[in-house]
Amino acid sequence: MSTLEQLKEQIRKALPDLDVVIGWEQGYDAMHATPLFIREEADIDRLIWSPLCVHSLGTYLTGLTKSSKVQKVGLVVKGCDSRAIVQLTQERMIPRENVTLFGVGCSGCLSHARLEYKVEQGGHYVEDMHAITFNGDKVEVAVDGGVESFDFDTVCLEKCLTCRFPNAIATEHFAGEEVPVAPKREKAPSLEAFEKLPLDERFAFWQDQMRRCVRCYACRNTCPMCVCRDHCISTSRNPHWVSQEASTAENFMFQMIHTMHLAGRCIECGECQRACPVDLPIMLFRRTMVHAVKDTFNYVSGADPEATPPLLTFKAEEDNINERGW
Amino acid sequence: MRIGVFVCHCGSNIAATVDCPSVAEAAKLFPDVVFATDTMYACSEPGQDGIIQAIKEHRLDGCVVASCSPRMHEPTFRRALERAGLNRYMLEMANIREHVSWIGKNKELNTGKATELVRIAAEKLRLNTPLFANQFDVTKRVLVIGGGVAGIQAALDCADAGIQVIMVERETSIGGKMAKLDKTFPTVDCSSCILGPKMVDVAQHPNITLYAASEVEEISGYVGNFDVKVRRKATYVNWASCTGCGLCMEKCPSKKSHDAFNEGVATTTAINIPFPQAIPKKAAINPEFCMKLQKGKCGVCAKVCPTKCIDFEQQDTIVSEKVGAIVAATGYDLFDWTVYGQYGAGRYPDVVTSLQYERMMNASGPTSGHIQRPSDGREPKRVVFIQCVGSRDKSVNRPYCSGFCCMYTAKQAVLTKDHIPDSDSYVFYMDIRSPGKGYDEFTRRAQEQYGVQYVRGRVSMVYPKGDVLVVRGADTLAGTQVEVEADLVVLAVGVEASKGAAHLAEKLRISYDQYGFFMESHPKLKPVETNTAGVYLAGCSQGPKDIPTSVGQGSAAAAKVLTLFAKDKLESDPQVSSVNQNRCVGCLKCTMTCPFGAIKDVKDRAGNTKAEVIETVCQGCGICTVTCPHGAIQLQHFTDNQILAEVNALCQPELEF
Ligand SMILES: Cc1cc2nc3c(=O)[nH]c(=O)nc-3n(C[C@H](O)[C@H](O)[C@H](O)COP(=O)(O)OP(=O)(O)OC[C@H]3O[C@@H](n4cnc5c(N)ncnc54)[C@H](O)[C@@H]3O)c2cc1C
Ligand code: SF4
Ligand code: SF4
Ligand code: SF4
Ligand code: SF4
Ligand code: SF4
Repeated sequence: MSTLEQLKEQIRKALPDLDVVIGWEQGYDAMHATPLFIREEADIDRLIWSPLCVHSLGTYLTGLTKSSKVQKVGLVVKGCDSRAIVQLTQERMIPRENVTLFGVGCSGCLSHARLEYKVEQGGHYVEDMHAITFNGDKVEVAVDGGVESFDFDTVCLEKCLTCRFPNAIATEHFAGEEVPVAPKREKAPSLEAFEKLPLDERFAFWQDQMRRCVRCYACRNTCPMCVCRDHCISTSRNPHWVSQEASTAENFMFQMIHTMHLAGRCIECGECQRACPVDLPIMLFRRTMVHAVKDTFNYVSGADPEATPPLLTFKAEEDNINERGW
Repeated sequence: MRIGVFVCHCGSNIAATVDCPSVAEAAKLFPDVVFATDTMYACSEPGQDGIIQAIKEHRLDGCVVASCSPRMHEPTFRRALERAGLNRYMLEMANIREHVSWIGKNKELNTGKATELVRIAAEKLRLNTPLFANQFDVTKRVLVIGGGVAGIQAALDCADAGIQVIMVERETSIGGKMAKLDKTFPTVDCSSCILGPKMVDVAQHPNITLYAASEVEEISGYVGNFDVKVRRKATYVNWASCTGCGLCMEKCPSKKSHDAFNEGVATTTAINIPFPQAIPKKAAINPEFCMKLQKGKCGVCAKVCPTKCIDFEQQDTIVSEKVGAIVAATGYDLFDWTVYGQYGAGRYPDVVTSLQYERMMNASGPTSGHIQRPSDGREPKRVVFIQCVGSRDKSVNRPYCSGFCCMYTAKQAVLTKDHIPDSDSYVFYMDIRSPGKGYDEFTRRAQEQYGVQYVRGRVSMVYPKGDVLVVRGADTLAGTQVEVEADLVVLAVGVEASKGAAHLAEKLRISYDQYGFFMESHPKLKPVETNTAGVYLAGCSQGPKDIPTSVGQGSAAAAKVLTLFAKDKLESDPQVSSVNQNRCVGCLKCTMTCPFGAIKDVKDRAGNTKAEVIETVCQGCGICTVTCPHGAIQLQHFTDNQILAEVNALCQPELEF
């Protein structure tokens, strides 16, 4: 039985006890998937599982579990998605007992941004792509009557290159085979390249990038860890840390807030950058923080449901910061 | 809001390098400032009256006083505001003395900086709100940590005043260093004859609970209501039934145990009572040397003990105590003298420390008061004392003077002559520091009456020659090299804070200096207080001092405790956190980081989880406020908006990024 068939079977069995199960279905065109809310058995047939299933569905959880209509939620999760659930559980943000996870192993998801860039480079319009097939290491795209073929590694999401959690963890169900853990890169190539720049160039880079942010807050809204909703400090006037002015400085301040609030919590799902309508490379911030947390606290977020995130503890003396030399 | 600004000259302390009138002039232009003036001494009676008058005349809602550190005079000015009918939290201070005039000489720059600090304070003040204190009960019990002479004095004074005292002593007996001394300067009276009765008083006082062989494990709470956990270390002897008969010591076969009380001059048994006058007089097993605990074979003590109180299975236990005040009197330890390899310290048996020498002279010591060379037991005829070993020596990071070594060296030289009338003593010294009452007379007597040879200069090395030691040093007064042959060399080892003092300070949340000595609140005016309310200091834990001063400080600390306990209720500081329940999303992250357990979770009417601060427990540390992602929990008087206003006052928005 294929992974998808197994998954459908598991959902079919569990559905009577659940109010809704969230997975993915084919989207508005051949190139996109979109979240699917399964409420009845008939909906199950629309479920798909492929590298187009990019969305981290955990983002819906904190909202859903607060609503009075929904008690029990099922969720299909990839490895990275499951880390978000682990993190939310640690932070007691979701009633974990009301959530049923259907895990899968994932060999990487498509980066629409990278693919579209390549297709444009090849002299095509992205609108003209009308079919996509994933064929082992290759991705074949039907465009303008012809077929363009790309190495999967060149068009996958960057996070997939460094992924250490391809298989969903701490789930109730698991469909298909486990995928071997084989990160292709130690560090994200974009961060590696960025860190080579001298400081003044990095500063100039961000001045240039941050000017473009339109403060749509899509990055925040899609982040599974951003649970503050109406009270987010970046839109609040009390305390009034950032103004609503879309200046470079204020935009940058907002990104810093997001980055700081995700310290030790960000599970590198990359959803923030994927959601950004103007393609700002904000994962550079998130990844830098992820590395800082790893170096300082030896902590990987969303990996262990029993762990306490380092910034959610009080310790007079940190294990890895020896201030007093004792 | 109507703000008044008062810029203090502090005589010439501030005015010498800050143009105070122009700071006041500039302040007049700040938003909401309706009155600004400079004043000679803001804290003086006319200065305070001036503030009160201005508040009334100009109908001020709040004041900025630009003067010294708020540590110094914030309470003063808060009271002044209250006398004028304002809430005391409508005051802000700009520290233009410690932060400006004392650290910079350029008047123009200083004036600019002072003006900016006033602007910051005024911007913050605009967002201040009146705050009101709650009251809470005081637990009238005191914890004394350390049972040296300083701790003993503090404990007895409090107990005599009717206060319950908990004394925690790390060793198996109280007494501290004084219990080890032979005679004490300047009167040369027997140390245990004057200390012994006080120790007995501690044991017998109905108001004192003594935990010996114990250490403070954890302290939580705040002034008036500390919760203390005390770790009672396993002694492997049930103290409730031990009568201190000492039979076990006679029979214990492990006779080569380290004798800490005798400073390693002799060895002792694995089970022992450190000295005959020990309080409590109870035996304890040193597990490192006990054959039963190490190898499982022996148990002789258990067989001979008439009350069957040996318990090899005994574990540490934790007892909890509630107290309202704490006196830290953990004393000192000797500097690690073995770093002075050139003196043969730790290598030549006949080079001993001053404290070892005290034990050698002491009639109840291991040699029954006969001074003998550790190497061959011979009576030394020539004794050389080397002062400042680990004091006033930057090369070993001990630049400070240990205070009492000059005096005890003179004492030990005098006593040497008493013990061995045909002996000669030499003292190598840097300066003789003997400023106490009758002290200088004493050191003179040592030289003039007892013929002790004082040589001014540092010793460069000590080396063995045959069965004597040669001490080579400079005589800086004669300008020559000298070499003295000695049968015994005594190092006047300097002192440092007792082991683990810094760890204890962290638990007490008090400051300590780089050598581990606890910091007093003010070096002159608050010598026994600390910056943590309800925690007081006594004795050498605060810095080296002799017995009279340690005892005086013990009594002073007791006086502070009694003053605190004179009130039935204390006012809580309203500068605590508070949760805006509309904003709180109930994530409870704040409860996870609050070090004081001051936040509980409650349910609102709709059944949603919300955080709530327990005002009397909150210490105002602000950790929760930086934990809460979106600022639902705010520290009163230091809200995000106030801090932001301060930052914005300094970093004017024109500075575009
Ligand atoms: C060789 C020598 C000779 C001296 N001769 C004289 C003299 O003749 N006249 C004179 O006035 N002064 C003399 N002094 C100085 C005298 O020893 C001190 O002034 C005095 O002992 C200080 O008392 P204290 O209570 O502050 O400290 P200590 O005597 O050090 O007592 C501290 C106590 O606290 C305990 N303690 C430490 N840490 C902890 C902890 N974490 N928890 C629980 N308990 C703890 C210790 O075990 C000890 O019992 C001499 C000093 C030396 C070294
Ligand atoms: S910050 Fe970005 S990468 Fe990190 S958890 Fe949020 S959406 Fe994912
Ligand atoms: S950016 Fe910070 S305040 Fe805003 S939603 Fe995310 S975590 Fe909450
Ligand atoms: S999604 Fe992009 S444009 Fe929108 S707020 Fe975030 S960074 Fe700015
Ligand atoms: S951290 Fe903030 S939102 Fe979370 S419970 Fe505490 S006050 Fe409420
Ligand atoms: S300020 Fe916050 S973290 Fe600090 S004690 Fe008060 S409630 Fe706890």
